[in-house]
Amino acid sequence: MKFGSSIRRLSLLAGVVASALGVAASADAAEKYKIFLSMSYIGNDWQAEAANMVKALAAHKDFADKVDLQVQVAGPNAQRQIQQINAMVQGGAKAIVVYPISPTALNQVVKSACDKGVKVFAYDAEITEPCAYNVHIDQEEAGRVTAEWLVKKLNGKGNIVAITGVPGTSVDDQRTKAAKEVFAKHPDIKIVGEAVGMWSQAVARTELSKILGTRSWDDIDGLWMQVGCFTANAMQLEAGKKAGQLIPCAGEGSNGGRIQMLTEGTEVEGAAPPYAPLGAQRISYASPPYSGALALKLAVEALEGKEVPKLTVLPLPLVTNETVKLCEEGTWEEMKAGCNVFKPSLVSNPGWFASIYSEKTPEVGLNAALVGQPEN
Amino acid sequence: MSEGSIAATPGHGLNRFLSRNRGTLIAGAVFVLLLLLVDWVSVGPFTYFDASFLSSGGATSAIAAVGQTIVILSGGFDLSAGAVISLVNVVLASSMDPAAASTSVVLWTLAGIAVGMAVGAFNGFFIAVLRMQPIVVTLSTMFILQGVTLLVMDKPGGFIGADLGAFYLGDAIPGWLPMSPVVIGVLLLLWLWLKGTRFGTTIYAVGSDPDAAAAVGVNVMLTRFLVYVLAGGCYGLAGVFISAQTGSGDPLVGNPLLLSMFAAVVVGGTRLGGGQGGPVGSVFGAYILMMVVNILLVLNVSAYYSTIAEGMILILAVLAGSLSRGSILASQLRAGWSRLAAWRAGMLPSQLDRGDKRLRMAAGGRARTVSHQPPFYVRNVETLRYALPAYVCLIAVIVVTQFWLGHAILNPGYWNSLLVLSSFLAVLALGQGSVILTGGLDLSVPWTIGLCGIILAGMVNGSDGALVYALPLVLLMALAIGFVNGVGIVYLGISPIVMTLATNGLLQGFALLYSQGTPAGFSSPLLRWFMTGKVAGIVPVIPFMIAFVVFAVVLLGRTPFGRRVYGIGNGLRAAQLSGIAVEKTLILVYMLSSFCAGLVGVMLTGFSGQASLGMGDDYLLPSIAVVVVGGALITGGRGHYLGMLGGVLLLTALQMLLAGTTLPYATRAILYGLVVLGAVMALRERRVH
Repeated sequence: MKFGSSIRRLSLLAGVVASALGVAASADAAEKYKIFLSMSYIGNDWQAEAANMVKALAAHKDFADKVDLQVQVAGPNAQRQIQQINAMVQGGAKAIVVYPISPTALNQVVKSACDKGVKVFAYDAEITEPCAYNVHIDQEEAGRVTAEWLVKKLNGKGNIVAITGVPGTSVDDQRTKAAKEVFAKHPDIKIVGEAVGMWSQAVARTELSKILGTRSWDDIDGLWMQVGCFTANAMQLEAGKKAGQLIPCAGEGSNGGRIQMLTEGTEVEGAAPPYAPLGAQRISYASPPYSGALALKLAVEALEGKEVPKLTVLPLPLVTNETVKLCEEGTWEEMKAGCNVFKPSLVSNPGWFASIYSEKTPEVGLNAALVGQPEN
Repeated sequence: MSEGSIAATPGHGLNRFLSRNRGTLIAGAVFVLLLLLVDWVSVGPFTYFDASFLSSGGATSAIAAVGQTIVILSGGFDLSAGAVISLVNVVLASSMDPAAASTSVVLWTLAGIAVGMAVGAFNGFFIAVLRMQPIVVTLSTMFILQGVTLLVMDKPGGFIGADLGAFYLGDAIPGWLPMSPVVIGVLLLLWLWLKGTRFGTTIYAVGSDPDAAAAVGVNVMLTRFLVYVLAGGCYGLAGVFISAQTGSGDPLVGNPLLLSMFAAVVVGGTRLGGGQGGPVGSVFGAYILMMVVNILLVLNVSAYYSTIAEGMILILAVLAGSLSRGSILASQLRAGWSRLAAWRAGMLPSQLDRGDKRLRMAAGGRARTVSHQPPFYVRNVETLRYALPAYVCLIAVIVVTQFWLGHAILNPGYWNSLLVLSSFLAVLALGQGSVILTGGLDLSVPWTIGLCGIILAGMVNGSDGALVYALPLVLLMALAIGFVNGVGIVYLGISPIVMTLATNGLLQGFALLYSQGTPAGFSSPLLRWFMTGKVAGIVPVIPFMIAFVVFAVVLLGRTPFGRRVYGIGNGLRAAQLSGIAVEKTLILVYMLSSFCAGLVGVMLTGFSGQASLGMGDDYLLPSIAVVVVGGALITGGRGHYLGMLGGVLLLTALQMLLAGTTLPYATRAILYGLVVLGAVMALRERRVH
C-alpha cells in the first residue's frame, strides 16, 4: 500500500520522533482521513486564530479518531501554494482545507485535485473553480450594512474617513465598492480621506496619523474602517477627547473594539484604557475565524458521503451597542446564549478577533481560538 | 559586495572548468541531492507525473531568476521583477477574449515578453543613460508598476486561454519530457550562445569593473541598457508562464516572488555585485527553494517551524556551496591558525613593544593646516551634492501639501505627525545605512522589529516597572541577533542577503513559537506617552529623535568606527591592508543595524499600544529606499546620515500628502514612484570618463 510505505520511509528518516507519529498513524491509517490544511501567511492574528480553531476541531473527541490533520504554510506566495497543493495531492490527501491566497490563481491545481477525487474546501476567501467548496461571508453585504449604519448614525450628512484593506484582493474590492455605493446615494456624506489599512491595527494607526497631519478630529464626523476602530478610538483619547465625544466607527470585530462598545463605567476584569468600556458608537462586523474549522467539519461530512453544498455563506456576525454582551468564560454554550465579547483578562490582545461563535461548531469555543483546545 | 575574493588559480582544461563553474556545479549537486531526498521520503516511486509537477512548479521562479542573474552579473540589481510578472499576468488576463475558440501561444508569449522588455527599457534608460542607481530606479518602477497593474485589473479575475496552459504545462514528448524544462532549456541555450558572443563577454566585463571595461573600449552604457531589456524579457516570459499555470489574472501574484528570486540567484552561486556566476546555477537555486515546500510537507514540519526550517536549509545550501580551500570559512580558519602561531612566537601586534614611533612634527604645524583649510562648501561639496536633492524635494512636497490640503506649514500637528512617523525610519536608516555603507544589506529588519516588539509587550504587559528590565533585555537580544548575522557573514562567508534573509525566517519562527500565534501583552503607559503624549505641544519622541540624529552624525562622521565603515565600503581589501579590523567592524555594523531595528520594535509597540505579528513587514523596502534616496551608494562607501534623514523626511512627507488626498491607491502608487524617481535624478553618477 502506497500510504504505508511512505510512513515506513518517513519513520526511517526522521527517527524516534517521527516513528512515534508513524506508529499512531499507520495503526489507524485504514479509518482516518488524511486531511491537509494549507494556510496563507501565518504572521497575523486572524490567520493564527483560524489555524488554532482548525487544529482544535481536529483534536476534538468526535474527530480525533477520524481525522489525521497536517498543517502547512504557503506564505503570501500563490505560486508556492500551487506547489503545496500539488504535493498534498501526491501525499495522499483525502481532502484539503485551504485559505486561498488568490481566488483565481489556484483554479488549475484545484481542478486537477478534484479530478483525482480530493475534496478542496476554501475558507474565508473564495476559489472560483466550480469544483471547490467555499465557506465565507457575503463580503458585499458586510460593506453595505456597515456603510448604511454609518449613514444612519450621521443622519445622512458629514465628513468621513475610509480605511480599506489590501488593494488588489476580491474581499477588499467587494466590501469597499459596496460601501461606496451606499455613500454615493447620500450626497451630503463626503469621503474626505481614504487610506489603505492592510487589515492591520498597526497600519491603520500609521495611516490615520498621516491623514491627521493635515486634518483634526473635529473635521471628521465618522469612520468606515475594515480594521482599526479600536486604534482610532485610542487615538482620539490621546488627542484629548472624552469617551462621550468619540465619533461613530463602522469596523471590524476585534475584541478591543467590542470592549470599547460596552457602556462607560462597566466593571470588566483586566480592562485598562484604551482597552476598556467607553460606550463608543460602533457597528462591529467580521470575517469570522471559525470558518476554517467549519470547512474542516464539512470536509469530513463530505468524505463520509453526506451531501455538502458547494457554497456555504456564513451569517454575517454583526454587533452593535444594543447587542454587545460580555462573556464570563467564553464557552460555546455561553456564546450560544448571546455573549460576544471577552474580558481583557482572558484575551490580552485587543486586536484579537472576537467573532468565533457559530451554531454549527459546538466543538470549538474561546480556548480553541486562543490555544487550540477544543470544548469537551 | 565589493569583497576581495581570492582569485582562483587559472588551471588547464577540466580544472579550469571546475573552478570557474564551482557555484553552478555545487548548486546542481545540492539540487540532485534534494531530489533524491524527496524521492526517498515521498509516497511511492518518483513518477513522470511528479517530475512534471515539480518542473512546472519551479519554472516561474527559475525563468525570472535567469533574468535577475543577468542583471546581477552586470553589477546591477532589479527590484521590479515581481511587479513585471504581475503586470504581464493582468495584461494577458484582461485582454484575452474568453469567447475565442483558440488562442495563439506564440502571439501571447511574444506580447508578454514585449511588455517585460518595455519595462526593462524604461529601467535601462534611467540606469544606463541617466546613470542612476539601479536599486532606486527599479524600486520606483516597482511602485509605478504596482499602480499600473491595479489600474489594468483592480481585483483577481480575467481569463487566460486554455491553449496557453495546455502548451506550457503539457508535454514536449508525452510521457517523457514535460514542456517547462524545455522552455528553461531553450532559455539557457540562448544564454550560452549569448555568453559566447562579444556582448556576453562585455556583461561580465562591466560587472567585474565598469571603469576597466570602459577603458578597453566596451560601450558600458549600451551593455547596461540591453541587460535590463533582456532581463525584462525574462520576467515577461515568467509572467506568461504563471498566467498559463493559473489560467487567470491576479494583480498581486508576482510581488512575493521577489525575495525568493534573490535567494535563488545567490544559492545558485552568483555573486551579488557582479562578474561571477551564471543563470544555470540560478535555475538550480530556484528549484532548490521550490523543493523545500515538498520536503517540509513530507516530513510534516509543523507550521510554526516551517520558516525556521527554510532558513536553515538556505544557510546550509549556501554553506555547502562554499566549502573549498578558497572559501572565506577556510581562509578564516587558516588565518586563525596563523594567528595562533604568531601568538606563540610572540609576534602579534598586541605583544610587540608599544612605543610611540611617530616622527616629531615642528610645533605649529597643526595651526598652519587649519588656516589653509578650504571653505565649508568646498570641503563638503560631495556630501551636499548627494544630500541636498532630498531636502529640496522635501520642501517642494511640503509646499504642495500646504497649497493642496492647507493646514501644513503653520500647523504644529502636521510637524508632530511628520516627525513622529519619520522617527521609525530615521532610526532604521542609521542601521541599514551603516550596513549599506559597508556594501551589505540587512533583510532581517522586519522580524527583528516584530520579535523585539512582541517580547517587549509580553514582558512589560502594561507595567512601567517591568519596562526597566524589559527594555535593556530586548535591546540586548537585538544585539545578539546582529552578532549572529555578523558572524555568519564574516566567519562563514555567507553573503549578507542570504544570511539576513535566513535570520529573518528564523526570527519569524521564534516569534510565532513565543506568541503561539497570538501576541499577548501591551505597552506600558510610559512608553505609550513617549510615542503619543504631548509636552508643551511636542511629542516626547521628537527631542529623542533629534538627539539620535546628532548621535548618528557623530558616530558615522567623527569616530574611528565611522571611518572604518566608510573604509570597508570603499574597498574591503584596501581596508584590510591598511590595518582596519574588518571582521570586528562588520560584526559591529550588523549589531548596530539589529539594535536599531530592535529599538524601532520598541517604539512601534509604544506607538500602537501593542505588538503584532508582521508589524515590521512594511519597513524593509522603505529602510533601503530612504538610504539610497538620501544619496548613499548601494555598493557602499558613499553617503551621509543627514542625507538619509532627508530621504526619510521626504518619503514620509510624500506619504502624508498622498494620504490626505482621496486619489485611488493605484494613482498614489504611481505618483509615489514618479516622485522618488524624480528626487534621485539629481543623484546621477558622473560620467565614467
